[in-house]
Amino acid sequence: MGTSRNVERRTILKAAGASAAALGLGATTACGGDSGSGDGTVTLRYAWWGGEPRTIAIKKTIALFEKKYPKIKIKPEFTDYEAFWEKFQTQASGGNPPDVFQNAVGFLRKYDKRGVLMDLKSQADAGNLDLENFRNGVLANGQVDGKQIGIPVGANTMALVIDLKAFEKAGVEAKFGWTWDEYFDALQTIQDKLKIAGDTGYFSIMYLYDLYLRQNGKAFFTDTDLGFTEDDLTQWWEDGYKRVRSGLVADPKKIEQVKPKSGLSAGLAASEFTWDNFSIRYEGEGESDYGLAPIPTTDGKQTGQYLGSLMMSAFSGTKHPKEVAQFISFMVHDPEVGKIMGYDRGILATTEQYDAFKPADANNKGVAAYEEEVAKAGVLGKITPHPSGTDVIEAAFLRIGGEVAQGRTKPADAAKALFSEAKAAFAG
Amino acid sequence: MTSATSPALHTANERRRTGSIAWHVGALALLAVVLYPVIWVVGASFKPSKDIIASLDLLPTKPVWANFSGLADGISGISISSFFWNSLMYAVLAVVGVVLSSSLTAYAFAKIRFAGRNLLFTLMIGTLLLPYHVLLIPQYVLFRNLELTDTLVPLVAGKFLATEAFFVFLMVQFMRGLPRELDEAAKLDGCGHLRTYWSIALPLSRPALITSAIFTFINAWNDFMGPLIYLNTPDKYTVSLGLMMFRDQEGISNYGSMIAMSLVALVPVIAFFMAFQRYLIDGMATSGLKG
Repeated sequence: MGTSRNVERRTILKAAGASAAALGLGATTACGGDSGSGDGTVTLRYAWWGGEPRTIAIKKTIALFEKKYPKIKIKPEFTDYEAFWEKFQTQASGGNPPDVFQNAVGFLRKYDKRGVLMDLKSQADAGNLDLENFRNGVLANGQVDGKQIGIPVGANTMALVIDLKAFEKAGVEAKFGWTWDEYFDALQTIQDKLKIAGDTGYFSIMYLYDLYLRQNGKAFFTDTDLGFTEDDLTQWWEDGYKRVRSGLVADPKKIEQVKPKSGLSAGLAASEFTWDNFSIRYEGEGESDYGLAPIPTTDGKQTGQYLGSLMMSAFSGTKHPKEVAQFISFMVHDPEVGKIMGYDRGILATTEQYDAFKPADANNKGVAAYEEEVAKAGVLGKITPHPSGTDVIEAAFLRIGGEVAQGRTKPADAAKALFSEAKAAFAG
Repeated sequence: MTSATSPALHTANERRRTGSIAWHVGALALLAVVLYPVIWVVGASFKPSKDIIASLDLLPTKPVWANFSGLADGISGISISSFFWNSLMYAVLAVVGVVLSSSLTAYAFAKIRFAGRNLLFTLMIGTLLLPYHVLLIPQYVLFRNLELTDTLVPLVAGKFLATEAFFVFLMVQFMRGLPRELDEAAKLDGCGHLRTYWSIALPLSRPALITSAIFTFINAWNDFMGPLIYLNTPDKYTVSLGLMMFRDQEGISNYGSMIAMSLVALVPVIAFFMAFQRYLIDGMATSGLKG
């Protein structure tokens, strides 16, 4: 008995040894550490989402920065949009988000509430971050309750993307200040003449409904709540569903089938509402020519548009706030950076960068001309507040709107569902 | 007698043959349905990127190599081979860890009587009921405090500590089925537990070990959440993370290279399975009988 016990103990020791060895093996690959080293060099983690062109451009700008600030090293982390936020959520909960990262308006309050975002005002006061020369007041997009928690890198606005060939063939034209009635009449003509739908499903897009509400003196959000009533939304979705049934809006089943391609580039419909800086995808996907058209209005003048932004934010717990601020300042102001980035993240936010970059390709020129036209028309308003939970509500709006389109949910029930999901999202 | 039976036999044969033909046709039809997605992926990998989401054809009208040759350029400045190397390291370490630690634990549960064995076994099985997402953040905080994020350690440490309860359970059940007489014979020959484990239990449990190894390899190879949370430096990304980099929600996704890469990513999994599945059958048939 005694010997067998000994062996048991030895077995356990062996097992422990094996595990320890395994851990050691793993640990040899470890060479992390985000902090400074002996010679005063500081390493910052910088994370963003986006496709390959953005990543390659950002890497070039990082190289420029490191040349100018040899004591600061930037460690890039990048992935696609969904993976980025999934990862960010865990890292933020675990107290280990990147020092600097790409951010969007819809996430500001969410992470501000959890204390993840640094108020960059103090760094601006200390002279490490320049808050001058932002165009069209976009700097305000990064402000929440008097704190500057995001620095815009670009500006974009909702737009109507149209199939230029289809519009021409049907003999209809998109004009500045056209009304919703005129817009739907134009779609009707397209449907009659070309036998395709007019739109791909406008009524599931939260940001478009926001514009419609703004045209009518409301907005999608107040600072803490939804800015419309259940009846408003029921009406919006009832009208939408009517247009699906009449064929003015494309069959949602077909739209689903061609995904991930857009219904517009698949030729199922002649127009689609989206952010203007997303419009590059249509040329890449579709056979026709595409262009940006004005948002329809209610009163013949107000489109309800505003400039949204991608921005850069910093982690409140970073060990190197000064270097983070210097990095952000360089990235948003340096003209060379503007030349490299172009309009990938929206029209460049500062005058230094905007003046430095001259768009050469048709798509960038189109986007620039569009935003200039919108700005000239004087329709740009103050941005709608984006309370914590905006990202969840946007997804719910798209999903529930899709159920309405397929006739699976009655508009009134759908509106009720959205209100209850919104309540949960605000609380979360 | 014979003249009476032969026509009956004839029709019976005939019936059997039509039955067999119907069976084969049915099986082939089912096979076609099951294989369709695979064939679609293979076909799509030879289509120009734009056609992949545009055309419904199963096979490309004009096959192109661009998707595969494009992989050689890497993505966003990272070579594709680094994704594969990282995945391979992760999968191999996971397999080694699971096979060693789970079998040792299983031996203890199956062959050694000790106080609290049943309670511990129940607790271990109980961990199967814990959802992954409950563990995610505490585990993350733990490894962050150990400063082990952005390494493979958080991904494989658990595998070396027999935390994969399912595989432990599988091996326990298998080892319980091994004849006791073999252990007793070993004991008479002077073997301790370690020797019995290494020379008797382990070789005889080969089918269970192989099964665990195959599943662990596939799980690690396909794991997305773990690498996503723990690995920060793109040079350390695994294949599953690398695949995501071809997507671009705001611009033009590179579907061609994405599909080509997912096809290439299948190769190691299939190779691993092919290499080990014959041991699986071989082992089942002879376990406990070989000298």
